[in-house]
Amino acid sequence: MRFRGGHNVLLKGRPDSAIKVMPEPKVLYMPLRSERFTFSDIHVKDGQKVNGGDILAKDPDNYSVPMLAPRAGTVRLEAVENHIVIEDVAQREERADIVEEEMLHIEKEMGAGGIKRYKLLSLGAWQFFYDAFTGELPDPLGTPQAIIVSTLSLEPFLARGDVQLHRRLLNFTRGLEQLQSLLEYQPIYLAMPNITSEFANLIRNQIRGYAWVKMLEIPLKYPYDNFAVLARRLDLKAGKGPVWAVRTEGILAADRALTETKPCTVRILSIGGTGVNFPSHLKAIPGYPLKRIRDQHVFEPAARMLNGGILTGSILSEEAQGVDVECRGITVLPEHIDREFLGFVRPGWDRDSYSGCFLSSLRKDFRERMTTALRGEGRPCVACNYCDEVCPAGIMPYLIHKYLYADLIEEVEQARVDLCVECGLCSYVCPSKIDLRTQFVEAKDLIAKEKEEIRQEQLRQEEARKREEEARKQAEENNE
Amino acid sequence: MKWLLKVIEKVRPNFEEGGKLKAFHPVFGALEHFLFAPSAATIGAPHIRDPLDLKRFMSMVIISVVPCVFAAFYFFGLRFLAMIIVSYAAGLTVEALFSIVRKEDINEGFFVTGILWPLILPPTLPLWMVGLGVAFGVLIGKELFGGTGRNVFNPALVGRCFLALAYPKQMAASFLEPSHDVAGRLLSWVDGSTADAISSATPLVLAGRDEMVATSHMFLGSVSGSAGETSALLIILGGGFLLLTRVANWRTVAATIASFFALTAALIASDKIVYNSMPGVFGPAIWHVFAGGLLFGAFFMATDPVTSPTTNAAKWMYGIIIGAVTVLIRNFTGYTEGVTFAILLGNIIAPILDEIVISVRIRRLRSEG
Ligand code: SF4
Ligand code: SF4
Repeated sequence: MRFRGGHNVLLKGRPDSAIKVMPEPKVLYMPLRSERFTFSDIHVKDGQKVNGGDILAKDPDNYSVPMLAPRAGTVRLEAVENHIVIEDVAQREERADIVEEEMLHIEKEMGAGGIKRYKLLSLGAWQFFYDAFTGELPDPLGTPQAIIVSTLSLEPFLARGDVQLHRRLLNFTRGLEQLQSLLEYQPIYLAMPNITSEFANLIRNQIRGYAWVKMLEIPLKYPYDNFAVLARRLDLKAGKGPVWAVRTEGILAADRALTETKPCTVRILSIGGTGVNFPSHLKAIPGYPLKRIRDQHVFEPAARMLNGGILTGSILSEEAQGVDVECRGITVLPEHIDREFLGFVRPGWDRDSYSGCFLSSLRKDFRERMTTALRGEGRPCVACNYCDEVCPAGIMPYLIHKYLYADLIEEVEQARVDLCVECGLCSYVCPSKIDLRTQFVEAKDLIAKEKEEIRQEQLRQEEARKREEEARKQAEENNE
Repeated sequence: MKWLLKVIEKVRPNFEEGGKLKAFHPVFGALEHFLFAPSAATIGAPHIRDPLDLKRFMSMVIISVVPCVFAAFYFFGLRFLAMIIVSYAAGLTVEALFSIVRKEDINEGFFVTGILWPLILPPTLPLWMVGLGVAFGVLIGKELFGGTGRNVFNPALVGRCFLALAYPKQMAASFLEPSHDVAGRLLSWVDGSTADAISSATPLVLAGRDEMVATSHMFLGSVSGSAGETSALLIILGGGFLLLTRVANWRTVAATIASFFALTAALIASDKIVYNSMPGVFGPAIWHVFAGGLLFGAFFMATDPVTSPTTNAAKWMYGIIIGAVTVLIRNFTGYTEGVTFAILLGNIIAPILDEIVISVRIRRLRSEG
């Protein structure tokens, strides 16, 4: 499939390519929940002293992916709800929490490939991997049909891959090599913008010897960096096994874990959006107090802090105290207060719209100062077709919306709501202000749940049948 | 404008739950949101929205017909203002009544119908018919289907179709020779009773008698016809603007005009239509494109997003059907003008065309991922 749809939302507050190192914190607040993980299996006790790299907790539902202590300190479990707090934080020599004997044991059990995978998981690099189709954490012991490496972050605003890549190119290529050693002959696709640029040439020279790395050019249009979109662009089919997907930071983490056997606990975050005074990148660790970031960077008194980008991110609630282990960026948007007088007849020189209904379409690209305003009233769908035009998945959002409205779940499934990559563009462009993305996310959940229930039911029946059969056999044997 | 906002806040309780004027809440809401953008904010991702809303979307159509409205004033006089006022008054009454009953917001859609409606009427039509027609169109063509966004037919065309069928004589007799003065009729009022209101035949009627009006006159608009449809130049100007804003889809317009032109040319070339006073193929075909309501219909009526197909492929088919049917009605039936019926027919077929395209697309999606 070719790329289709897509649209770049241009708003003020794009992070520059500097990476600021945040000052060392005194206290860390490690959230027990992040986008994909729930670390419910706590491995430390209240008051325990930990070292950097120690395992604090694991997520039992996601291949026991660990949450590592980024620094040494004293653990407090009850201090803040849903967080592990580390007090008296000190930066000491980090140490991998893998005991030598254990390593030997694993090496005997699983071989050299096994130990690499074990290192990736237990040193915190595996968190950076995604299943391209589902977005979930892939099975670390599985074999992918391909790996997609994306150096882009096109959603405004997330930590940009190029910012990290420029600094650590050697580590990056070494990481690619390390990943390759996990595979047999499967390809690694390196998605890059503009593969004729000087920088791309530099990379190409670096990886010249790596025949298994294939470069894929992607236009700089949101959301072409989305893993599911890329997998479809490459005509990879879910039926042929998983596709691992990873971004620049994941390759760098894999390099650190496999080459240096050191835990990966540093994150590069972006801080951007209309409400930030100096949009930039931050080098921070998970658990870094959000309040300090806010005090330093946010100037708007009434601002919405998002974990992630403006199109797919989630609101950071009052409850959240620290940066979570999956955070890739913090975006700040001023809450909207003003009510414009006769807003709809203004020329709109300063508005950035998908349509051509504002004077600004005569202008060169510019970045708009956007807020959280809905900018209109909810209305029935007028069939303008904008949502279909922007949808990168090639499904018809207005159609699915119509089916959902009429409660036709089967048709919704047939219209392939499951292909929706939740990019949010359809909701963004809809002049009737219909919350399409939210509806689709809910519908997908509902359908998945129903499918799961059917599967469970089938399993139960299977089980019951087996038991019956066994009982019959038993009875027959007894009779004999 | 702070004071106005204060006034609105002050009277608001009257219209809310428990207030005396609760029944009029839709009217109040429409007025409030007409004056001030709503204060709502996004609740989830995406956290920002495109500045385009339905009000703006609809205002674009109104802006795009402004040249035609001025042309109507110029050619047919001040009476056109009265037609606009009656159109809005009658239509809005129906619209407001329905939103009060249905307890829904008043929809922006009517503001477009209200201005398009007088533009497609003969300029000296009695005002009561203007009101009746629009009320009929909005009631039958839109409200009975559930309001803007759910209607199958273009309400203005339903009204026009109704008048053409119910009062064919008055409709035909209400055409007026446009003013040929330099100052136009900007300050005069001409209706059925005025002396210089000799009803005049439209170019298409004359063509039936093989009297061809000059193409250049039709291009500029100094010919008889419905109030807004006479000047091809201004329609293309306004319509082009509408295409640039992407409110109207260029595919519909291109398909309609292209198929109309192609079929007309083919018929002339094969001697099915003969104009002795205008030889050649290309000349009469172009003449036909500029004649009557074709351009106005193609740019402003067929492109109505609600009643036209949604998918782009279906838009092509839709346009081709409208263009072709217009040719057939114009030349081979008793009606001299076929655009209204052709577009209404297109409206009926639109969901079917969509259905076809959608089923193909869904079949293709089945093999994905
Ligand atoms: S339907 Fe899904 S993939 Fe398509 S635009 Fe909407 S959110 Fe994006
Ligand atoms: S963008 Fe909104 S109004 Fe337009 S077709 Fe899609 S759902 Fe309907």
